[in-house]
Order: sequence, then structure tokens, then C-alpha cells
Amino acid sequence: MVDLVWFQLLSAVLFVIGLYGVMARRSAVLIIMSIELMLNAVNINLIAAASHMEGIGKFSDFDGQLIAIFIITVAAAEVGLALAIILRMFRNKSTVNVDEINLMKW
Amino acid sequence: MMEWAWLIPVFSFAAAPAVVIFGRFLPGKGSWISIFAIAGGFLLFWLVLGSWMDAEAVGKCFTSENTHMLTCDYERSWFNAGVVGAVGSVSLNWGILIDPLTIAMLGLVTFVALMVQVYSLAYMKGDPRFGWYFAIHSLFAASMLTLVLADNFLLLYVAWELVGICSYLLIGFWHEKRSAREAAKKAFIVTRIGDVGLLIGILMIWRDVGSFSMLDAFEAARTGAMSEGVVTASAILLFLGAMGKSAQVPFHVWLPDAMEGPTPVSALIHAATMVVAGVYLVARTFPLFEAYDADPLMVVSIVGLVTALGAATVALVATDLKRILAYSTISHLGLMMLSLGAFGYTAAIFHMMAHGFSKALLFLGAGSVLHSTEFQETGEMGGLRKVMPLTAIVFSIGALSLGGIPVLAGFWSKDEILIAVNDHRNVTFIVLTLFTALLSALYMARAMFLVFFGQLKDQNSHVHDAPAAMAFPMVLLGILAFGFGLISFNWPGSYGGIGTFVFFEHSEKFHFEIWLGAVSIVLAIGAFVFAHRIYVDKSISLEGVRARYSRILKVIENKYYFDEVYQWVIDRVVFVFSRFIAFFDRAIVNDIIVNGPADVTRKLGIALRVHVTGNVYSYTLAMAAGSVGLGLFVWLRVV
Repeated sequence: MVDLVWFQLLSAVLFVIGLYGVMARRSAVLIIMSIELMLNAVNINLIAAASHMEGIGKFSDFDGQLIAIFIITVAAAEVGLALAIILRMFRNKSTVNVDEINLMKW
Repeated sequence: MMEWAWLIPVFSFAAAPAVVIFGRFLPGKGSWISIFAIAGGFLLFWLVLGSWMDAEAVGKCFTSENTHMLTCDYERSWFNAGVVGAVGSVSLNWGILIDPLTIAMLGLVTFVALMVQVYSLAYMKGDPRFGWYFAIHSLFAASMLTLVLADNFLLLYVAWELVGICSYLLIGFWHEKRSAREAAKKAFIVTRIGDVGLLIGILMIWRDVGSFSMLDAFEAARTGAMSEGVVTASAILLFLGAMGKSAQVPFHVWLPDAMEGPTPVSALIHAATMVVAGVYLVARTFPLFEAYDADPLMVVSIVGLVTALGAATVALVATDLKRILAYSTISHLGLMMLSLGAFGYTAAIFHMMAHGFSKALLFLGAGSVLHSTEFQETGEMGGLRKVMPLTAIVFSIGALSLGGIPVLAGFWSKDEILIAVNDHRNVTFIVLTLFTALLSALYMARAMFLVFFGQLKDQNSHVHDAPAAMAFPMVLLGILAFGFGLISFNWPGSYGGIGTFVFFEHSEKFHFEIWLGAVSIVLAIGAFVFAHRIYVDKSISLEGVRARYSRILKVIENKYYFDEVYQWVIDRVVFVFSRFIAFFDRAIVNDIIVNGPADVTRKLGIALRVHVTGNVYSYTLAMAAGSVGLGLFVWLRVV
């Protein structure tokens, strides 16, 4: 069985790549994709930990999977909402470049 | 029937909004709703009087320990403040109190209001706010009737203020005229000053008695539960309110100006009913005035005498017909107060009614003259009896009655006052009262002769007599002003004169002091004959007297400079002080206390808003940095 630390390393790398994407990308669609990447990194971390560990205290040994499924559900809803917002944004401003969408500032 | 007496004001209370809302769709602008309402009240008054006559002192009716009159009190719960029965909570009742005083007032108010409303049908014809006029009249009648029926001070105060606002609205009825607006405000503000005293007096009684009920207050004063100081102070404070409403010196200045209103309004409100509310209040709370040493009554009688005398002198030199009548009203209100102050309870109420009928009649007569000639100055009139005989006759009846000519109503009531003053006050009072009576006859004779006798002026040759709707009320009031004195006598049977109907502590049979009656008859008739020689025959000239006493005359013609002094006080004291208060309000309260915190918040917002850049990556960076910082914090805590 592959050691837990490799999974955690993979998760961390994916998460940082996602974070970089959110901070560096200009396109709103790519930012959404990066956020998805970060969420999946977290999922990998949770599932790996769940399969490698017995339950501790009030946590049972499949709580990790459970939370991961929740995250996937929420992420699906979030993507739907985010894409709808981006669509409206594009309709109004003919661009998805977040640098140009800065109405909400002083 | 007595427990249904509350319906009397309710009719008119209902009529007022009905006239306002539906009046415009109805024939006559809904004025007949108002008239039917008050006519219903007048009918109920007779039923109430009848059932009071038959009533026994059982159940809700009892013989009052204070007045010794058969009194009926019907009350029910009004509202509770707090938990019923708990310490510190207040339960208030409201209800109606029926005794001869109330019944007398009910009769006076409903009858005069009915007469004046019928009269107004013709007088106010064609006025753009015809319906509104009747609506306020209804509201006024309702408030005044509530005032006389109220069995507790709180309800009385509410009604008291309501009649005040109706008076304000009716004085300022022709608010296109600046003078009418000013007069309305003046009346309202001056009476308000007295009302503050009334309110404080009521609260003082409440603090000591724990109830707003008048009967409880009288009981406390009688048994000594209220100390002498509190009783005296509260009586004086109540009298302050009465002085405002009844136009006693120094609060009398509003009443002459109130003549800016339509003349029927002057007849109803500023002669017969509202202004006697003060007299009514003193009579109603007489047990408080009379308790212990009856010191407040001395104040009442002095104020009354000063008012009666001062106003009578001004009435003698005034030239505006309505103002003569207004000062005459003030003078007679002073006489009523004087009478109450001299323990002349019956006399005051009797004079209130006799004066109410006579003065309403005089005002309606004056209204008929003004309506037809469109002049108010007596100098523009003269000889009008040739063109308006009916008005001349009824006006003369009113003038003779108030002047104290025998067998007319005013003679008998004034005689009762003279007897009361003679019995209970010293010789100065009776001499001055007789002098006032003489002046009263003189100015009444002067008004009557100047307007209706002498040469008819050409400008008045087109003048016509009053139309039927105006003549009918005048004739009815004329009959009363003529014959109302009949109720004061001992008639065969159980009735022993007005002194056995409305009285305080001792019922009195009719009696007549021969020498006082003789003096007052001589004075009254002498005054009328004298005035006839001056103004009609012109066989006596006053020029010499005028020249010799020109200084005193100037003071009187300027109404003793009351208005000037008040104006000075307002300009130099009140306005200066209020300017200071206004400065304090703007500089301290507004600029520092209110705008200060708002300013600080705004400036802080400007300083802090720079972090909102609108760039997504800067927010993300902040979030990431925050997460890392949070992680570090937790990690360091754990290690």
C-alpha cells in the first residue's frame, strides 16, 4: 500500500497549483477551474486519510469519504452558480477578464 | 333615562365626521345631519331632566355629601395601565355625572347650539366651506357636552382641550383673513397658558387621591384626606384653567379678538357656552374651593370683580358692535366668577343661563345687523329699527335683559348675584358690583341706541330684516331672555325656585332683598334714561366730560394696554430667550451631538475604504495569507 505521505504530497501540490491559478489567471472560467482543482486536492487528502486511518474518537473511519461526497455535491452546485454568473457577466461586459470587472470598489 | 345621557354628545360626535365625509354628496352640504344630532341631544336633555326629577337616592343615585344635591354617577372601566390590582398600576374609569349643574348646562348648551345652527343655515349660506362649518359646530357641541357630563378630571381635560381646538378652528374659519388667523392663534395660546395650570392641578389631585374621579377628590377634601395646602393649591391651579377659558383678567385678551370668527360662532362659543366652561369648572369643583377656609374663593371673587369692572369700562367706550358685546361677555363672566367667589352658587348658574340666552340673542341680533349692513362699526349704523324691526325688538330684549331691567331674565339673575355678594363679601365689593351693574346697563343702552335708534343713514336704506331661518332662533331666544326669570320664583306645588334645584349645601327659596332690588332698578332704569338722552335726544353732551377725563379715557380706549404689555414681553423676553435656545439647539445639539458622530464615521470610512481595490487576485492573496496566518496561529498554539 502506498504510504499516506505521498497522497498528502500530491494533494498539497494540486492545492498550490490551484491557488496559483486563482491568483494568476485573468479569465474567470480558468479561476473556476482552479478552484475546482483546489477542492479536488482537498478531496484526495480526505479520502486518503480516511482509508489509512481507523476512526478516532467521535470520527468513524469513513467520515473522510462522507465529507468528500458533500464537497463534490457542493462543488457541483457552486460551479453551476458560478458559470451562470460568468455568463451574465459576459452578456453585460463582453468579457470574462476579472481585471475589467471592478465595479465593487471605492 | 339618565344612564343613557352619554348619547347626547355621541350624536354630535357621530355627526361631525359624517358631515365631513358625506356632506358634499348631500343636499344642504349635510348641515341637517348636524342639526338633527343636536336636536336629538336637546330632546334627550328633557328626558334626562324628567328622569332626574323622578329619581330616588338609590343605586347609582345618591344625595351628595358635598353639594347635598341628588347626584347620579354612572361609570365603567376606561383602561388599565399595568396589571389590574398590582402595586403601581393604574385603573381608570370614565363615566357621566348627572346633577342639577350638569342638567342646567346640558339644557343651555343643547338649546343654544340648536338655535345657532339653525341660524347659521341662513347666515353662512353660500360660504365655500359651509359643510365644514357645520362639522366643527357638531364637534364643538359634542365636546362641550362631554365636558359637562364628565365625572372625572381626565375626561374633562380631554373635552376641555377639544372645545379649545374647535374654538381655534371656528375663530380662524375665514383663514384667508390674516387677522382671523392671528386671532385664532392668540385664543389658542392664551387659553393654553391657563390650561397648563389646570393640568398641574388635576395631576396634583391625582397624586394625593390616587384617582381622577371628581367624587373621590371631593370626598378626600371633605374628610381631610387631602391636606389644606394641596386642596388650596389645586383649587387655585384649576381656577387658572378657568381664567383662561372664561377670559378673566389677565387672560381676557383673546376674547375680543375672537370676534374675527363668524358671528353665530361668537354667539355660541364666545358668549353662551364655551367661555362659561371656566365658570362651570369652578362650580363643578366647588367642594375643593370651599373646603377648609375657602381661601381660593376670595381669589375667585377678586379676579371676578376686577374682570367685571375693567371689561365693563372698556365696553362703554368700544365702537365696534361685536367688541362691545365681547367686552360685555367678559364683564358678565367676571360677575359669574364674583358670584361663585361670594358663595352665590345658584346665582352664578342662574346668571350663566340667563346671560347665555340673552347674549346669544344679542350676538344673533348683531349678526343679523352685520349680515345686512356689512358694517361692524356702530358709527355706521343708527336708526336701523325702521328697516329691521324684528331684529331691533329682539336685540332690545337682550340688551334690556342684560342691562337689568325688571321682569327680564337678566334682572333676576343679577339680583341673586347682588344678594350673594352683599351677604358674603364686604361693602367695597357690593359697591363695586353695583357700579358694574350700572356700567352694564349703560353700555347695553349705548349699543342699543347707537344701532337701532336715531337717524337712519342713507347707506343703510337698502337694509332688510332677517330671513326666517335667522328670525326663528332669535324669537325663541328672545322669549327665553324675556321670561327665563320665571324659573326663579316659588311656584305653587313642589317647585321652590331655582334655589331648590341647583344649590350648594343649602337649598334656598326665592328671596328678594328690597333695598338692593330698589337700588339696582333705579340704577338700571336711570342708566337707560341717561343713555337715551345722550344718544337719541342728544340733550346731554359728553364733550365736556370727554375733554376733562381725556387721559383716563385714553387708557380705557386702549384696553388698559394689556395687548401692548404682552407684545412687549413677547418681543423682549420670550423671543430673546427663544433665540438663545435656538442657538443652543443649532450649535450644541445639532452640530456637535448629532452631526459629530456622523462626521467621525464618515471620515473613518474614507480612510478605511482604500483596501477595496476591486482586483480579484488581491482578495485571493489576502484570503491565502489569512489562511496561512490562521494555520500558523493554530500550529503555534498546539506546539
